[in-house]
Amino acid sequence: MTTKVDSRIEDYMKDLRAELRDFPATRRREILDEVQEHIYQARAELDAETEASVRTVLDRLGEPSDIAAEARDRFGIRPKKAGPLEVIAVVALLIPFFGWIVGTVLLWVSRVWSMRDKIIGTILVPGIWVFFFLSMVVDSVTVGTVVSGKGRGMGRALEPQAAETHWGGVLFVLAFFLIPIVTAIYLAIRARYLSQPDTAGTS
Amino acid sequence: MVSAEREFLATQLRRGTLEYCVLALLKKEARYGFDLVRSLGDVDGMVTSEGTIYPLLSRLRRDGLVETSWKESPTGPPRRYYALTPAGTRALKLFKTEWDRFTQAVDRLLESGGGK
Repeated sequence: MTTKVDSRIEDYMKDLRAELRDFPATRRREILDEVQEHIYQARAELDAETEASVRTVLDRLGEPSDIAAEARDRFGIRPKKAGPLEVIAVVALLIPFFGWIVGTVLLWVSRVWSMRDKIIGTILVPGIWVFFFLSMVVDSVTVGTVVSGKGRGMGRALEPQAAETHWGGVLFVLAFFLIPIVTAIYLAIRARYLSQPDTAGTS
Repeated sequence: MVSAEREFLATQLRRGTLEYCVLALLKKEARYGFDLVRSLGDVDGMVTSEGTIYPLLSRLRRDGLVETSWKESPTGPPRRYYALTPAGTRALKLFKTEWDRFTQAVDRLLESGGGK
């Protein structure tokens, strides 16, 4: 029972943190601390802690989005909307190497995307590269040659095992073209979704 | 629909007065957040979502109308207590004067103008 109750409270706090994600850190911290304390006090005063009684405590606190809306009102913080920064970030991510670096920096600077979006946006492109190089290494090991340079390694792998090299080629195409596009599309969709005032941060 | 209208009205009235109700609750003694919020909640129509008080408390603290201090609690961890500052006391006094004048004027209007 206790674990179920705890996870309900955890979910509530997580939602609230997500709603406040574009707040200055000190204000976010303040509100989160106070609400956490409130829940603690409320729990301490319950006659019997059941799932129902804890849900009542959370219901009385109100929707995280309502608390965030009130905080925006009190502090004059407008919900963050996708702007030029987000557009440049998405476009930059499509350009290999240098563009990716710029895009990633902007991605983390932006206050529109959630932490999860930022992590996905950051690791997807290099992730497929790492995967690609690892598969190259595995290829060369199974073939029994030592990779001294990536060009030579590929060339060697081409000769004896056509099937695996073909697989490597597919990965190469994926790494170079497809994954940045998928990443950009994902981030663009998320930015659009999070820019709608009513649904912001419900994930 | 009457209840929706009533809700709207209550929200409008609450908007300008809630912060002074919070200050008024702190007039006699410092209180900790949960206690304060529950006391407000006991006043009919004052608070619909208890959590919305906390942004207000943060704001009041930033404006220097209340201050916080931690005190040991007989049960559990220390609690954060809110107390009025001299500026908060002044703001409350000023509001009280204006509020009396305002409500008297509105009452007069409602009685003479509205009740034919």
